[in-house]
Amino acid sequence: MSTYQFVGKSIERVDALEKVLGTAKYVGDYYLPGMLYARALRSEVPHARIVELDVSPALQVPGVKAVITCDDFVDHGNFGFPVKDQYVLAYQKVRYVGEAIAAVAAETEEAALEGIKAIHLVLEPLPGLFDIDHALDPNAPQVGPDRADGKHPNFLDMSPVYKGNVDEVLKQCDVVLDLKYTTPHQEHAYIETEGALAIPTPEGGVVVYVSCQSPFIDKGILQMVLGLDPARVRTIIPPVGGSFGGKDDLNYYTSAQVAALALKTGKPVRMTFSREESMIASYKRDAAHMHIQLGASHDGVLRACRAKHTFDSGAYASQTPFTAWRGSIHAMGAYRYDACEVEITSVYSNNGFSGAFRGFGNTEACFAIEQAIDEMADALGMDPIDFRLKNCLRLGDETPHGQILTQSVGLTECLQIVRKASDWDRKRTEYSRQAAGDIRRGIGVAALFHGTSLGAEGIDSATSTIEIENDHTIVLTSGLTDYGPGSRTVYTIIAAEELGVNMKRIIMLRPDTNTAIDSGPTVASRSTMVGGNAVRNAARNLAQTINLAASDLLKCSVDQLYRVGEDFVGPSEEVVRWDAVVDHARDMGLVLSTYGKWVAPKIDWDHHGGRGTPYFAYHFAAHVAEVEVDVRIGKTQVLNYWAAHDSGTVIFPEGAYGQVYGGVAQGIGYALLEEALYADGYLQSVNFDTYLIPTSMDVPEIKATFVQTYFSEGPYGAKNIAEPAMVPAAPAVLNAIAHAIGRRIRDLPADLEKVVLGEALRKKGSPVSCKIGLKTK
Amino acid sequence: MKINFTLNHQPVSIDVPAGITLLRMLRDYLGVTGPKEGCGVGECGACSVLLDGLLVDSCLVLAPQVEGREVVTIEGIRAPDGGPNDLQKNFIKYGAVQCGICIPGMVLAGEALLARTLHPSREEIRDALTGNLCRCTGYQQIVDAIEATALERSRLQEQQKV
Repeated sequence: MSTYQFVGKSIERVDALEKVLGTAKYVGDYYLPGMLYARALRSEVPHARIVELDVSPALQVPGVKAVITCDDFVDHGNFGFPVKDQYVLAYQKVRYVGEAIAAVAAETEEAALEGIKAIHLVLEPLPGLFDIDHALDPNAPQVGPDRADGKHPNFLDMSPVYKGNVDEVLKQCDVVLDLKYTTPHQEHAYIETEGALAIPTPEGGVVVYVSCQSPFIDKGILQMVLGLDPARVRTIIPPVGGSFGGKDDLNYYTSAQVAALALKTGKPVRMTFSREESMIASYKRDAAHMHIQLGASHDGVLRACRAKHTFDSGAYASQTPFTAWRGSIHAMGAYRYDACEVEITSVYSNNGFSGAFRGFGNTEACFAIEQAIDEMADALGMDPIDFRLKNCLRLGDETPHGQILTQSVGLTECLQIVRKASDWDRKRTEYSRQAAGDIRRGIGVAALFHGTSLGAEGIDSATSTIEIENDHTIVLTSGLTDYGPGSRTVYTIIAAEELGVNMKRIIMLRPDTNTAIDSGPTVASRSTMVGGNAVRNAARNLAQTINLAASDLLKCSVDQLYRVGEDFVGPSEEVVRWDAVVDHARDMGLVLSTYGKWVAPKIDWDHHGGRGTPYFAYHFAAHVAEVEVDVRIGKTQVLNYWAAHDSGTVIFPEGAYGQVYGGVAQGIGYALLEEALYADGYLQSVNFDTYLIPTSMDVPEIKATFVQTYFSEGPYGAKNIAEPAMVPAAPAVLNAIAHAIGRRIRDLPADLEKVVLGEALRKKGSPVSCKIGLKTK
Repeated sequence: MKINFTLNHQPVSIDVPAGITLLRMLRDYLGVTGPKEGCGVGECGACSVLLDGLLVDSCLVLAPQVEGREVVTIEGIRAPDGGPNDLQKNFIKYGAVQCGICIPGMVLAGEALLARTLHPSREEIRDALTGNLCRCTGYQQIVDAIEATALERSRLQEQQKV
């Protein structure tokens, strides 16, 4: 359908070769001469006051070269956004098991471990807060910082959406459901653990290689906590071994720790985490307690939704205020209502700490509302897809937030595609009538809308630089990181498309704060749209210069030029090579280095009134899962899976399919297996032997379809894919389980116990794995 | 202690502490960083190597255990020209690579399977990958790449017979 040369075509990922050869160097693969190994002393209690901390004994350990505490940083290493409540190393208190208190650099990993064991530390335990339902009780242990506004110190934020009067409308409804759902903490489980390497520079600065998402946030924090000017700090992002939202905060702590140790010792210092340390210390997807009231009339029209959720932020705010906000915008699902009232409250606790994770609040909220929608369809005796089609958002509709959807709304198409592809109507009927038995099948659906990019979270722009080198290759940068999904390939495709050159001619650099330009955080599935538009603008700016040179060389006007492959052809059929045009441009004195910026359309959201335009566009999707449940042992196998995504134009198909497959796999893990359970603040699963993520046998063959509704603001009409691919998976699977067994599981994960018993089988928790995991290699 | 073994088809003789793992010996003493440490307890397969042709987690093998044996890491999987072999090319072609941290192990798991059979079903391919965790891809394109390679190699084998 398109006339594009590269966009939408089968393309090889730009960084695949070094990865299949095993030559890609991740942070942990760097071994520099004289490099020291760092390790952090981490809290083994969930909440305590630091009474005594004497690090000098560590320096007596052979091989230990330096040790640092919060006193080695400006303002004790205080940082954090939107709430400045974190410390690079703990200051006065520890608030979660795994919080770093001091860090040692030594000649070997063994010496570093001995060093942290030698540190003299006395902690005075404080009462812990583990039950978020009681976080705001007047006598609850105080976890959050003191505050002057009279609000409870454990209160973090409340994000509302309001439309009409829910109580009035619910009174008029024929069917009203009142439902409670919970989701657990989830571990990102990137296969590469956290790590950073700092190299001191002769000028007194530091270069940090760090496996993180957002290079300029890292650099900004380093400048602030180290008291260095911008020219003295450089952050470089090597290949990142998976992230999913999980490689920000903790790697900022880590890069600041190794940077301080490098400056203190004058040597390169690397810290890489063991899996146990990674799981214990790293932030998780927030756990959520969710309460939904849904009202509809007999004819199948949804009328009202009230959603009152509580998100567990854990020890620090991190991204939870934003997560809860995104959750609030999506908590009612992609439907029309007469009245809607959403309030998501986020609170502090001593259950680890929560931060960004794929889906970012919508994964939790969608799980609840999409099961509730299914329960309403059941109550009304309607088919779940018919019920969704009757009520879902369509082009021209006004959302419950008050936003008119003016373009790129493909939800009905997505629902119709998965219905047909999955043979839904036949299977739904057949499985509804299956005879009683131990092996039962079911089929379930879930719908999704997901606001693209940052929305009202902040200023939303990106910048790319582009330059032609002496050998006529093109060097492209972005301030955004490709930590796996494929944005470097997307950017290379876009630049090649705009310039009409072979992709091999383009060298897409990894982020380096000395060469790239700050483009905000690499989050919110914003790389393709926001970063892609920046690349497109940069390449177009460069193309203007090149076209000018070509027209001068071919003695014609720019609009008389045409292209055959990379070559330029003038009106007299004279052909000149790309290299010749570039050389001529240089001879003309033209500047072959430029940049492009893209600023997202302005959005407008009233954070108190809960009305406005929260995002400038939405991704829509529908998933169908077909499951087989062995009700004797509670085992659910996902047999088949269909996913249809309105992602706008697909620029890099292999990458887009990969996002859907991987997202669905993570969603199946969230649905059936994964629970990062905190018992009295202690994580109960600290490695992959007890924290199970889906294997190749747990994930079915997935049939993915893209509904490419053109989005005028996106590059070539593209929106996004990364997060939305995961979000509807868990509710689709849980709706299928309900269909199979005739009983709802409202608390994730739907593990063996919940399927068989209907409730979790809880053993008494233990601090042992955390305590061992923090003190072993 | 001194350990003599074959690494990627070359003889190696190296003095290492007796208690370290094969993974540690490869990475810290031999600079072979293709195998990654993902969990250290034999669950994730990021450290996979071929030991006498069998897929093993090098984090669970003690260095002295490879005395006199043959170890192949991802660095030893190459086409004759030093570039990617057919399986590696298919990983690229089928979009099987995302973050890439599991990929050395996945390629070796694929080679271990294809050494046993050139006619695996998709189910058998999935079964052969159960010891290798991937958090990015959902495995599907990895299965595609191995399946395509099996087909190509079996065709090649048949052609050679004729």
